[in-house]
Amino acid sequence: MPLFAKVQSFLRNFFLSRHVDIDLDQEVHAHLELLTAENIRAGMPPHEAQRAARIELGGIEQVKEQVREQRLGNWLHSVLSDCRYGLRQLRKSSGATAVMVFTLALAIGATTAIFSVVYGVLLRPLPYIDSSRIMALFEVNSKGGWSHLADPNFDDFRDQNRSFQTIAKYQNSGDVSVSGASQPTRVAATSVSPDFLKIFGVQPILGRDFRTSDSKKGAALVVLASYGYWRQYLGSSPDLSQSHLRIGGAVYSVIGVLPDGFQFPPDVSLWLPADVSGENQSRTAHNYLAVGRLRDGVTVEQANRDISAIAQRIHQTSSEQNEYLLKDGIVLPLQDSITRNARPPLLVLLGAVGFLLLVACANVANLLLAQASVRERELAIRSALGAARARLIRQFLTEAFLLSLVGGGLGVVGALFGVAGLVALAPQNLPRLDSVSISIPVLAFAFLLSTAVAAGLGAFTAARATSGDLRTSLAEGGRGQAGSQGSQRVGRVIVAAQIAITLILVIGAGLLGRSLRKVLEVNPGFRVDQVVTMDVSLPDVDDPKAKASQAIFFSNLMDRIKQVPGVRKVGATSGLPMDGGLPDGMFLLMSQSEIPKKMDDFGALFQQKERIGNADFCVATDGYFQVLGIPLIRGRIFNQRDGADSLHVAVISESLARDRWPNQDSIGHTIEFGNMDGDLRLLTIVGIVGDTHEYGLDAPPRPTVYVNLFQRPRSAITVTMLSDADTRLVTSAARGILQDLNPEIPARFRTFSQVYSASLGSRRFNVILIGFFGIVALLLATAGVFGVMAYSVSRRTREIGVRVALGAGSGDVLRMVLSQGLRTIFIGVAIGVAGALALTRTVESLLFGVTPTDPLTFAAVSLLLVAAALLACFIPARRATKVDPMVALRYE
Amino acid sequence: MSAERTSLLQGTLDLLILKSLIAGEMHGLGVSRRIQQITVGTFVVKPGSLFPALHRMEDEGWISSFWGDSENNRRAKYYRLTRPGRKQLEAETKRWGRISWAIAQALEAS
Repeated sequence: MPLFAKVQSFLRNFFLSRHVDIDLDQEVHAHLELLTAENIRAGMPPHEAQRAARIELGGIEQVKEQVREQRLGNWLHSVLSDCRYGLRQLRKSSGATAVMVFTLALAIGATTAIFSVVYGVLLRPLPYIDSSRIMALFEVNSKGGWSHLADPNFDDFRDQNRSFQTIAKYQNSGDVSVSGASQPTRVAATSVSPDFLKIFGVQPILGRDFRTSDSKKGAALVVLASYGYWRQYLGSSPDLSQSHLRIGGAVYSVIGVLPDGFQFPPDVSLWLPADVSGENQSRTAHNYLAVGRLRDGVTVEQANRDISAIAQRIHQTSSEQNEYLLKDGIVLPLQDSITRNARPPLLVLLGAVGFLLLVACANVANLLLAQASVRERELAIRSALGAARARLIRQFLTEAFLLSLVGGGLGVVGALFGVAGLVALAPQNLPRLDSVSISIPVLAFAFLLSTAVAAGLGAFTAARATSGDLRTSLAEGGRGQAGSQGSQRVGRVIVAAQIAITLILVIGAGLLGRSLRKVLEVNPGFRVDQVVTMDVSLPDVDDPKAKASQAIFFSNLMDRIKQVPGVRKVGATSGLPMDGGLPDGMFLLMSQSEIPKKMDDFGALFQQKERIGNADFCVATDGYFQVLGIPLIRGRIFNQRDGADSLHVAVISESLARDRWPNQDSIGHTIEFGNMDGDLRLLTIVGIVGDTHEYGLDAPPRPTVYVNLFQRPRSAITVTMLSDADTRLVTSAARGILQDLNPEIPARFRTFSQVYSASLGSRRFNVILIGFFGIVALLLATAGVFGVMAYSVSRRTREIGVRVALGAGSGDVLRMVLSQGLRTIFIGVAIGVAGALALTRTVESLLFGVTPTDPLTFAAVSLLLVAAALLACFIPARRATKVDPMVALRYE
Repeated sequence: MSAERTSLLQGTLDLLILKSLIAGEMHGLGVSRRIQQITVGTFVVKPGSLFPALHRMEDEGWISSFWGDSENNRRAKYYRLTRPGRKQLEAETKRWGRISWAIAQALEAS
């Protein structure tokens, strides 16, 4: 019954509110009359009786308001009326409202867009069952660097650990040529140990998983296909018994298809069993990545201690004591491992956009403050009519919520487009880019952000507007000056803060921009333009004769491409600079008589410090150096006489010559580098070429040993072509030649400048975004300065009029206004510089060639900001000089 | 009227209003005077507290209201106790009894 009564009352109060209100009004008036009548009966004169009754009642409107606040459903009612009132207020000053909504939309939209990238890349859980339990494992070498796992080390980790349910290794085999399906293609494949899928909780939707026996040496060759590959190339056939693929020269039976959406490592189409040709027995051949699923109840720290103990045991007992042997092991969540390099730049971006948000909020706060001081009189009246202070505060909160939610809504719409733009602009090497979208958590973030902004703005304006004695405002409000001093001071504080934050942001952008310029100034050591590249890979072969015939195939291919009109030079390499890097290893200085008979003898030789050197291993042709313009410094490059059976020669990079053979001539020395390609013949150094920035302009050049493709053949190469002709013409001509030679072999074409600019993608992405945020913040801050100064001048019109009337010249007025503005600007800049000094260290890892406290950037940005802010002050200051004293004084 | 005017304890206003309405339907001023009378002048309820309380209690369903004519033929809004209101009065009375007993015990303890 009481519940029913309550609902009834609620509905009545809500829907018949006008009726209820009239009733209340009559009731209070009737009460007043009763009181008056009572007083008259007690003998008071009628006038006195009425007065006493009013005093006892204590204000009709106040009583009514107190009743209203007690009513059921009052909160909803008053929220709605606050909203209505708020909307009316906002409409009344539609210009300011539009500016505020737009500013908030921009800032919330930008923050949401960046957050969606941060969420998609860093926070969103990997799409596997219990993905937080999946770990990545690495070896830690003597220099503290992380490396992949060597087979025997992996086996020890797998067999001795007590922390993992399962661990598995996998290797990115890169692209392989596949034929036998509907058409020959190059797709990404990986070789994995048999337990690999169990770690991800994945089962084939068709066929079977790998078995341990599939990985045994000499086992029948089998392969698992991704859902996408099965759909596209295997015709979605439910019967796999007839599906065979020729991958790199061998025929594999397709035994299973993995579920749609499972793609680990990313973009892989085929999974092959590892170790079918036996394990590599060296503990320093780091060929595999490893993943594992933790046992229930085991923490990451426990797993780390476990793996670390095993690693240290290996370190102490292994016979291969050198700098490549692991010293320790590390376990970390797979998600962290994937996003490790992406994290710092993304967090910097998020911080930058957060600063932009603060600057935008400061602008809106200032506009709201200006409006609130215009409304002081209105507030005083409302309060005199019985509005409690809480009610007024709520009014401000409501208005701030309306603003922020509309702004946030528009911002999210903008972010939908912004995210598409961000994904397009993002560097190719940013992991998990495909999981970036405006998802539910991102929307929740946008909503919470808008709410937080609203609460902040609302609380701020409410606190400012309702502090102080409202009766004073009522008494003096009409003069349009009282109470404004305080709010102007607050306005200036906000503007100073705005300038400070903007300064930090723009200095950050400046440092990153200067870093990019410094990077671009680095001489890469090679030519970038006019080079077209073609990745070709033939089946993997071990037989030396077959290898030699592949070399002849490549030789024919290049000879024919040389005939294409416009092609000036042709070469080939095992790996382009800035395209994933070359394999590196240790070589040995030795003479002809010392050549080891087999690989296993290398271990002992690597102990002899004076013999060893370390370099990247690159297979190339003489044409490669000409196409990329890598200069010959001394000696010679490969030539026609360097045949397969003549002396094997090597060309080394300048830095290797300098570091390994200081104060002597490296030419003529012989080295053993057979551990890289299995050919134990010594290499005689015949030439020194210029250094190249193999791993990006911001990484130092690596020492490199180049060997001749025709002496050390390999099955996968990248053909490089220098041409004056149109890229498309060269591409189609080369494709035609390849198809003519062997129609089964797919190729991938790129221009070298694509490869080159992709290597700068991450840096460019950051500079563009933070630069954009910086510019927007600068505009907002300038607008903020302008707003506060203009408002201050309009508030001081009368005072300025008096000054002019008393003889102040326009120069004096100008100086007065400007000096007031300058003080704010300088305080802001001083705080900003201090803040930047403290904060730019966080971007240090992203900088190149500039220090985080680069004085030039600091000075230039500070000057820029002062200039922009001064300009913003100048316009209102000019207006102040135009004040006509007569008009200003009459204005009152 | 020399009795000391004491400010109302939290929750006692409802009890006093319900108690005064047990004597029959009454308008706001009547309730106010009745409370003054039954508390021997200790409590004087101002309209600013009385009306919000009346309306809240009406929303709760403890009392109901209607317009009627006063003793000297003036229109006034009258309140009367409902059945849930009577129950509420009983419950409140018991609760108050417990509280006042407990407070008395506490004050007597040495």
